[in-house]
Parts: sequence; structure tokens; C-alpha cells
Amino acid sequence: MNKRKLGLLTGSAALALILAACGGGSDEGTESSANGNDGAASEGTEESGVVEFETAVTNEGEAMDGGTLNVALVTSSPFQGLFSLELYEDGYDADLMQFAIEEIFSTDENFQITNDGAVSLDFNQEAKTATLTVNEGVTWSDGEPMTSEDLLYSYEVIGSPDYTGIRYDSTMTNIVGMEEYNSGEADTISGITVNDDKSITIQYLEVHPGMLQSGGGIWAGAMPKHQLENIAIKDLESSDEIRKNPIGFGPFAVSNVVPGESVEFVANEHYYKGVPKLDKVVVEVVPPESIVAALQNGEYDIALSMPTNEYPTFADLPGYTILGRQELAYTYIGFKLGEWDAENSEVVPNPDAKMSSKELRQAMGYAIDNNAVATQFYNGLRSNANSAIAPVFEDFWAEDVEGYSYDPDKAAQLLDDAGFEDVDGDGFREDQNGEELVINFASMAGGDTAEPIAEYYMQSWKQVGLNVKLTDGRLLEFNSFYDRVEADDEAIDIYQAAWGTGTDPNPEGLYGRNSAFNYTRWATDENDAFLDNISGRTSDDEGDAWDKEWLTEQYREWQAYFSEEAPIIPTLFRNEVLPVNDRVANYDWGYDADPSFGWHAVGVTQDEAITE
Amino acid sequence: MWKTILRRFLVMLPQVFILSIIVFALAQAMPGDPFTGLITPETDPAVIENLREQAGLNDPIPVQYVRWLGNALQGDFGQSYTYKISVGSIIGQRASNTVLLSLLSFILTYAIAIPLGMLAGRYNNSILDKMVVVYNYVSYAIPTFVLALLMLWLFGYTMNWFPTSGSVDVTIPAGTMEYYLDKAYHLILPAITYALLGTTMIIQYLRSEVVDAKTQDYVKTARSKGVPEKVVYSRHIFRNSALPIASTMGYQITGLIGGSVFIEQIFAFPGMGQLFISSLNSRDYSVIVALTLLFGVATLVGTLLSDIIMTIVDPRIRID
Repeated sequence: MNKRKLGLLTGSAALALILAACGGGSDEGTESSANGNDGAASEGTEESGVVEFETAVTNEGEAMDGGTLNVALVTSSPFQGLFSLELYEDGYDADLMQFAIEEIFSTDENFQITNDGAVSLDFNQEAKTATLTVNEGVTWSDGEPMTSEDLLYSYEVIGSPDYTGIRYDSTMTNIVGMEEYNSGEADTISGITVNDDKSITIQYLEVHPGMLQSGGGIWAGAMPKHQLENIAIKDLESSDEIRKNPIGFGPFAVSNVVPGESVEFVANEHYYKGVPKLDKVVVEVVPPESIVAALQNGEYDIALSMPTNEYPTFADLPGYTILGRQELAYTYIGFKLGEWDAENSEVVPNPDAKMSSKELRQAMGYAIDNNAVATQFYNGLRSNANSAIAPVFEDFWAEDVEGYSYDPDKAAQLLDDAGFEDVDGDGFREDQNGEELVINFASMAGGDTAEPIAEYYMQSWKQVGLNVKLTDGRLLEFNSFYDRVEADDEAIDIYQAAWGTGTDPNPEGLYGRNSAFNYTRWATDENDAFLDNISGRTSDDEGDAWDKEWLTEQYREWQAYFSEEAPIIPTLFRNEVLPVNDRVANYDWGYDADPSFGWHAVGVTQDEAITE
Repeated sequence: MWKTILRRFLVMLPQVFILSIIVFALAQAMPGDPFTGLITPETDPAVIENLREQAGLNDPIPVQYVRWLGNALQGDFGQSYTYKISVGSIIGQRASNTVLLSLLSFILTYAIAIPLGMLAGRYNNSILDKMVVVYNYVSYAIPTFVLALLMLWLFGYTMNWFPTSGSVDVTIPAGTMEYYLDKAYHLILPAITYALLGTTMIIQYLRSEVVDAKTQDYVKTARSKGVPEKVVYSRHIFRNSALPIASTMGYQITGLIGGSVFIEQIFAFPGMGQLFISSLNSRDYSVIVALTLLFGVATLVGTLLSDIIMTIVDPRIRID
């Protein structure tokens, strides 16, 4: 449920951000560490102009008892309002839900499942089973204790032939008996056993180490069966029980919903980590055009999904601390290197593709200055990306992979050496056979900066003698862009896009031979071997994927190989920001979570927001 | 006249039918479909195919159209792909907001425009007239979003007179008196903004008609009969000058349902304009088709309404 296609702009670019917020384990953390990861930030500080942030507020003063936290959800369109982990599709719904509906597992800073959450996990790799046990005292917000039936019901809903959502994926079909249940042949899922009223055991067909990662293969939701069992599964998504009175086991409970506009939450006195400090949380949709004015007036304590393109207008807002952290995403330039064979579900690389020269791809990487893009177009909220794994995954990210930084001389040298020379003297290089080389570049429209960035890239390539033109001579609309990239449209040789990677760093879903999302259609035997190792299908004498050190090594080697082969050039890592009023105490936005922190611990120090 | 109205309604049926075919085909011709952008790498492409199949998107467009028509004739416009509720309920939710907002701004528009137009015409070339003309230029030239933001900044954030977003305060329980008052309170600022933008044409028409009418024979006759000046304006001149306004009133009434994208977005007021734009972006076919048809029908009804209003205002005009 995690990796998502992204637009190029987060913030106000309508569609793009449907995609971002899904899945990230828990949003709380303990002490402030710069930006979730020190390495990423230190890589390009001062001189490159990349901004550094704190991830936690350190406000003085005692939190008072009670109080209302006013939260703005910054978006230009009304929210959809599906409050269920099983059914929601829009990231904004996830932003709203976080107060009331939690995932059953807690995770650590590497997004690995821990047993501090509502449910403990006992994973047996030999027997290929996972045993889920509801922890002591976990209670739904209506006072009913959570049971094994509630865990099971979540699977029964997603697996049901009547299920209308998008979560029935390979992690579900990996459960023994799920396909029979889904096709209607079986009434129950034979691979899930209810042990007692608190625990279930799931039998999997295949297990791999990624399953211990949040979102990596073990479903993280539970549904209050006592509330929902009398509603037909196909009617769930339009039911009031999902839209107006959802029941969760989170720190707050939904008490009122104005569709598309606002949600009121009241403290859930049954919360298993303790009664929340606040009485109420009110979340309202605020358009990006007026959010800064609203914050100046102290109308909101926290602004979720704040548009980063307006950062300079709120960077020094009196009374607010701007927290920041890395998004689980990266922007990249992809090279089309083959086609997708839908019949056999596999990538068919084309050795004669226009972009098949590795040196050409590398040169295009060296020709562009991503730090300049990050500071000039994104106000320093993005930074040059060195790898296709985000630095947030501290253990897996290969810090020492250099990636591609601005070096036009090296780019020119690479092209010269590879035989891309300007034969006819028109200022542009011809290809290795001396024929004209025109590279078609597809990029998405959206926001003010899309056009200038695309222009900037094309100019940079022109400076090393490459003739790059926009596909169709203009930017493409989001849907049309991905449609054509997916269909391996011949008018696209290279493209600029972004991936939200979710909480599972495994690159197989995006770059595997059998992944339809391997949009570059690049595949090599070496790459297959790396991914087999990472996914735990193969191992060597040194160890296997269940061995953290060995796995880390595989990740790092893969990144070095991937960077050298350059089927994509990762361009930018992204930061997201969160203005928090200075009256808010105990709030931590870092990924490095201490499970004892959370919305229940957040308080306010005074009645009104601080605006000075 | 009733015969004519009936006949006009009958003519509408094939018009709506043809419109529905065009809209249906064009909506599907857009790149992408409602499932673009939802799909994740863990998702088996077969599952997505299955979702498309379930939604009937793999059938030929004529087959889909006939199926849709069959359901539509029974009042079922399908399920919104994005909002996951029936098209009827999502449009209902938004339309109730939009109609309230438009109705109030409709009333305000005429309440502002008619006196201004009449006065400007009556005292043309006076200071008052010049001020009205300047106001007219400004309100005509100012972009919707600029005025909306200005109003929001001035009356919302600076003076704190009005709420700045949404249609109602979520903390007030629905159904109470306070709830309805709060709803009205939330309506005022967007409605005034909307109304100010709509006054230009009415004022301009009314003013020039009044200026023209002042020298007409019937006005002279009325004056020479000793009709008081006030009555000359309010009865004789107004009735004649209001004709061009009346001719567009029908459209305005049905335009109430369309909403305004800018106003809705800036005041975070969920209405029809936004629904239409977002359904286009997310390829929410069922909503796109239903809304376009609704707008189409509204336009047709608007034309008819305008004609009817004309006959009421000006008995010389007959529709038959």
C-alpha cells in the first residue's frame, strides 16, 4: 500500500499529493534530531542553501489540562472522508484519521515493526507464520475491548469479493487460502486461525524480511467488527459508520464531521496509552491561498500538508516553529530503455533504445545542477539526491554513493569518449553512428515551477551539446503523463517523475524485472541477483536477508550498482514542513519514534495561540 | 403559453439525449481513468484490471453508454469513483451549499445593482453617477480571486468580522438554532463577494436604459399628466428599463447551481464548482457526466425561464 506515483510539486498541486501521505507508520518521535537524518542534511548545508529543520517543538511552560488543538489541513479541495485504513485512498483522509484511527503496529526509526503498539507480532520465518496478539488494555473508543475477531475482520473485508478498495494486493494473496476466499470458493480464509479471543495466526505462502517492515507485507489495520458486521461489505464505504461515526482505538474519537470541510475529535478516555491531555482536536480544511494569513492570526496551532512552495512567506512567522522532516520520496529523471510485455508480466529491455548508452545517461546526470534547482526553485526545501533510497532509511541508505552532481566537463568528456560527437557542426552532438540525436523529454505540468525547471534541465543538457526537446512541445497533464509513460509511448525518451517510496525501502516494486512500475523498462541479470538477495529469495555463504548486516550490505551494493548503471538519475530528496504554534507542548514529528509519545501526550500551554 | 412551455420541454428531451452522448464519449476520451494514480507497486495488475472490469470500464463505450442510460432513466447515476458515495448524494451535498450561497448572492446582487443603476441613470453625470461608473469599472476589472482574497483578508483576518473558511462550525451540533445561524453567518462574506462581482452588467444596462428612457415620449406624457417624479421612475421608467435585465434573469437563476470555483476554493466552501473541477482531474466519470447534464438542463431551463419572465415583464412579448 505504499509506493505511489507523485507529481513534482508537493503542497498545492492538486493531484500530486493524493499520493504522498499513505502508510507512514507513526508520526511521533522523541528527541529532536535534525531532519530525521543527519547525513542527508550535512551533505549540502550552508553553501548549497539547503534548509535544516528541527523535528520536535521545545516549548517552555507546563501544558494545561484540557484545551482544544486547532489544526488546519491545507488543501484546495474538500476531503473525501473515508475514515478507514482499509478503504481510504486519499492522503488527506490519512491526515485526518491519524487522530482517531491508528495502525495496530508501532514502528521504530527504520519503520520496522515493534511490539509497543496495540498488537504484538510474533513472526516465525521457518513456519512462515505471523501471530498477532492484541496487547493488554487495547479498547475501541466506544469501550469495547479489541479482539481477535476485529483483526480477522479486516482481512475478511479486504479479501471479500465485494470489497471496493485498493488494498487487495500481493501482500494479501500471499496468505494461504486468500485467493479461494476472494473468488468465493471458500467462506473463510483457511490460512488465518483464531487462537483465542486475543490472537490470530496467519499462514503465508512466502515470507521475506521486508515483512517486518511497516507496510512490507503484514496488514496493519483492524476493524471494529461489533460496529461493522451488520453492514454489507460493498456498502461500507458509503456508510455513516465509516464516514460519520468511525470507531478507532486512537487517542481521539470522531465526534462530528462536516463533509469535506472539518472534523471534530474528542479525547478517547479508553485510549490504551493513557487519557489524552487535550479535550478536543478540531481539524478544518484551509485553502493554500489563505493559510499564511490564518496562521498570522493564530487561528490554527498546526498546519498539516503545508505547501512548501510558499515557504519564504511563513518561514519567520511570529509565534510559530517550523518543523521539517524528509518525505519518503524522491524525484528522478528516468530513461526509457525497453518495453513492457504485459502477457508475461516482464520487462523486455531493448539494447538498441535511444538511451541505451550508459555514458549518455551518466552524462545527462552530470550535466544538471540539482542543488541549484533545490535552492532556486524549491527554497532550499529539497536537496540533491544521490540514490534511489531515501536517507530516512538510515541503515539502508548508501551515504557513500556519490550519485550525480553538477560537473559539465565530466559530462562532455563522457560523451566524447563514448562517441557522441557533433559531426555536422550544428552545435548538437550526433549519436554514435553519426545520426541526428534528438531526445524527447516528458515532464508534468503543475505549479509555477514546473515549466522553468523543465527549461532549466533542457538548457543544461544543451550546454553539453545534447538536443533535448519537450514531448509534444509542452508539459503534460498528470494523468496523461503517467498514461503515456506506462504505455512506453515512443514520443518519450526520458521523463521527470517522482516516487513516494512508503515505509518499505525494498526497490523491487519499482525496479524489478517483473514490476509493471519499472517504467524505464530496464533489467539486467546483475540487478535481478541483487533484488533476489534483498527480497530474501537467494542468499550466499556470508549470510541471508534475515541477517540485518548482510541485508544492509546488499542494499548498499545495489545502490552503487544502480547509480553506476543509471537507468534513472535521482534528482531531489524532498522535505515537508509543519508550522506548529508555540503554545503546543510535547509535539514531535520525527520518524524516530518513542512509542510512548503521540497525540495523547500533546498539550497546550495557554488558551489562545501565540502570535508574537 | 402553457402549450409553448410543454412544447419547449419536449424539444429539450432530444437535446439532453444528444448532450449525454457527447459528454459520455468525451469524458471517456480523456487520458487516464479513475484508477490512474491509485495503483501501487504491490498491486497485482490483474487486481486493477478486475477493478476496471467491475466498474465496466473495459466494455465498448456504446455498451457502457446504454447501461448508464438504463440506470439514469431510473434515476441512478452511479457511484462516484472518488468519493465512493452515490452521485446523487455527493451532488446533493454540494448543491445544497451552492444553492444557498448563490441564492443569497443573487438577492444581494439585485439589491445592490438595481438601486445603483436607477440612481446613476436618474442623476446621470452627477458625482453619484460617476462614482457608480467607477465602481462598475473596478468590479468588472477585478479578478474574482483577487476580490475574494481581499475580502477575506479585510473582513475575515483583519477585522475578524466573519468566519474565514467552511460552511459551518464543526463544534456546533447539527439541527440546533445556533447551527443554522452559524451557517448563515458563514454565508455572508462569500455571498457579498460573489454579489459584488455580478452587479456590473445589471448596473450598466439599467443605467443606459434609464438615461435613454428619460427623454422618451411616454415619460413626457406621464410627467405632463402630473405623475410625481418618484412614481415616473419607479413605475414607468423602471418597468421598461428592466427588460434587458429580465431577459438574462432566467440564466442567472439556473446559474445558481453552477457555483464558483474561485470563491469556493478561497473560502473553503465545498460547492458544485469545486466538485466539477476535481471530478475532471480525477476522471470521476460518473460525476462528470451527471454534472454536465445537470448544467446542460439548467441552461435549457434558463432559456425558457428567461422567455417566460420577459412575457411577464413586457406584455407585448408573446412566446408561442
